[in-house]
Amino acid sequence: MSAPPGYTQTELSDPFEIHLGPVFEAGAKGARHFVLRVDERHLNGRGVVHGGMLMTFADLALGQAAWDATDHAFVVTINMQAQFLKTARAGDLIEVAPQLVRRTRSLLFLRGDFEVAGDAIFTASSIWKVLGKL
Amino acid sequence: MTSEMPPGAEEISHAGFNRHVGPLYRLPDDGERTRFAFVVVSKHMNAAGSIHGGMLMAFADVSMSRTTRLVTDAPSCSTVALTCDFLAPGRLDEVIESRIRVTRRTRTMVFLSAEVAAGERLLLVANGVWKIGSAR
Repeated sequence: MSAPPGYTQTELSDPFEIHLGPVFEAGAKGARHFVLRVDERHLNGRGVVHGGMLMTFADLALGQAAWDATDHAFVVTINMQAQFLKTARAGDLIEVAPQLVRRTRSLLFLRGDFEVAGDAIFTASSIWKVLGKL
Repeated sequence: MTSEMPPGAEEISHAGFNRHVGPLYRLPDDGERTRFAFVVVSKHMNAAGSIHGGMLMAFADVSMSRTTRLVTDAPSCSTVALTCDFLAPGRLDEVIESRIRVTRRTRTMVFLSAEVAAGERLLLVANGVWKIGSAR
């Protein structure tokens, strides 16, 4: 699958993310946004994007932002809250620009609004623990 | 460590995302709760050698969606909200089991809670809200 114009493929190291990707990105470190092109592997029995896929994409994108914010520290998700607003279908391009809401010495608070053609379909907030430098 | 499915396991991952991340299984109920399971293989992992958080959340989502359909007999349902706490990492080759309880059910909504565990070790707890039917 080729990158949308202006995007490059995100370098993924987690086997589960590689299994479900690719994901593409644009923007500088700390302000990257990410896109996923929905295909058959991402759909549920109703033919729309699976909730588990949206949460996985959220964990990936917000995790990349957490990684940027800590200059590649080892970070783990400790909590995620997700709201499912609307469906997405095969061929749709889902885009998110993760936001760092707050950072403490050991925690990162991130959120993201996921949109298809400017329409919000999903929103996620996650809390990450910083375990140290890799 | 064992990678054997418990007796009575029935595969539920037949297409799309579930098949791509599966196989996933339904186990016999424990009386109060529905139960589901999968065996951790390399595709489920992150680079740190643990199960990816996305897989644990997806497994909770599948288990809770399936439970919503079982208790309502609705042909379809959709996740409205899901909150997950990650308590401990899961490892390669482990059998991961979910146990789902329905907290409340109304005419159009189902509220559920989930535990996801590897043996006695609790990996994830979740609370979610489902809407019966696909209209949103």
